[in-house]
Amino acid sequence: MTGKIDAQSLSKTYVSARSGERVEALQNVSFSVAPHEFVSIVGPSGCGKSTLLALVAGFVAPTSGRVLADGAPITGPDPRRGVMFQDYALFPWRTVLGNVEFGPLARGATREAMRATAHRYIELVGLEGFEHRYPHELSGGMRQRCALARLLANEPEVWLMDEPLAAVDLQTRNILQDELLRLWGDGGDPGQRRAVLFVTHGIDEAVYLSDRVIVLGRRPGRIKETVTIDLPRPRKALRNSAEAGRYNEYIWNLIRDEAARAIVEESA
Amino acid sequence: MSDAAQVVLAPPPRAGVAGRRLTRVLEIVVALAVVVGLWQVTSITINNSTLLPSPARVFHAWLDLLHADLRQDVLASLAHLGIGYALGIATGLALAAISTRFALLESIVDPLIELLRPISAIAWIPIAILMFGISAGVPVFLIFYASLFPIFVNTVAGVKQVDAKLVHAAQMLGASRRMILTHVVMPAALPYVLAGARLSLGVAWMAMVAAELTGSDAGLGWRLFWYQEFFAMDKVMAVILTIGVLGYCFDTLLRALQARITRWSPDSVVDEAR
Repeated sequence: MTGKIDAQSLSKTYVSARSGERVEALQNVSFSVAPHEFVSIVGPSGCGKSTLLALVAGFVAPTSGRVLADGAPITGPDPRRGVMFQDYALFPWRTVLGNVEFGPLARGATREAMRATAHRYIELVGLEGFEHRYPHELSGGMRQRCALARLLANEPEVWLMDEPLAAVDLQTRNILQDELLRLWGDGGDPGQRRAVLFVTHGIDEAVYLSDRVIVLGRRPGRIKETVTIDLPRPRKALRNSAEAGRYNEYIWNLIRDEAARAIVEESA
Repeated sequence: MSDAAQVVLAPPPRAGVAGRRLTRVLEIVVALAVVVGLWQVTSITINNSTLLPSPARVFHAWLDLLHADLRQDVLASLAHLGIGYALGIATGLALAAISTRFALLESIVDPLIELLRPISAIAWIPIAILMFGISAGVPVFLIFYASLFPIFVNTVAGVKQVDAKLVHAAQMLGASRRMILTHVVMPAALPYVLAGARLSLGVAWMAMVAAELTGSDAGLGWRLFWYQEFFAMDKVMAVILTIGVLGYCFDTLLRALQARITRWSPDSVVDEAR
């Protein structure tokens, strides 16, 4: 009840507009994210993990149950909860600078404050020199850095991340994971860290980044188990460690059968 | 192996902007030469300058017209076009704005537009003549009518294709409804609106000539009719060429404007590179 985010008995059923068919995406999901905690959600495709994030972001309303932020029910999107999207969702008509400035602009910052904030975060994610590029002129990794700077520029209390690194190549992903940890405060004062809800299909990624991993089952999505990752921080030296490997294997065993079934069903 | 890697990493070979321009100009010159050549051969074969004057004769006629009526005809046509097109674009945008904003109005406006759209502007000439008399009102009305549909249809499509993800992104950054409209929906729809404006200008230009030909007392179309009465086929051809060249210039101008305004779009870059 004291979490930054509290999800209480969330269920979400989609009704197809064309066929009237009902799809139960989530069933009775409850969890919470503490103020300085990094929580990941993993699960096979079709387990409703992106739906879960959209509910917390306030983009969609649950069919039943509710989500609280700081104890107050979520009624819609809020700049205190910043979102990073899988396909970046950058504004293609705005440059890197324009994208990062959007949040401060929306919140009524002065021109000078807006520019200063944007430059600070662009530098923080390593995009200085690319301020005046349009998104289509950037690589996938640079687009994701831009999306991260846009999110950070609003200084949200909660970071909601929907498979943010799924679209970049493996090396870039590893680099961005380390960057993300650095920006979150992996090596620093735990009190400075933000609450993070991170959706991914990469088990090793979830283990490497998180304090806790919520494992979802599919059809309908429900929590199978919540695994506490009891590894010291900073994590950098632990990427390929045996301890991390054991967590990976444990979680993989939880979802292997369903993941295999998901492949069969999706190709059918 | 390292050679292969370098080849992949190198930027794709492409002609510079100057090179591409030159190629384009050459293409146009060749196309013109072929048309003029065929025309020359045909006019020699027919050997009747009233029926088909030679290119040289038409060129001379055009030079004569430049010093005589042509300038005022062009100005009259541009006035018709300017007023009719501005009215058409403004009305089309306004209708698109209200029908994308209010579902109820869409269910009224949309069937009306779909009903009128297949009716060629030219079909309205008899009614327009009865309403406005032989005057500037006829071409202005027809240009207005013709340009209304492409801009409306494109703008509605442009607003509807706006990515919900981008709206979500703006919302989570704290944007108000108003800011989402001005900073997300409008820029996202802009390429469609500009494409619509270009299509509208194309059909407006054609409607203009047709309307002036039968329902006006000034303009390029009217001048065609005038010279036809005198069997001055060389001058008729000169006016036709003027109509073609001006139409082409307008389209080129709008295309350049479109590429400039939407240079953020990967598609517009492709378009520029042809």
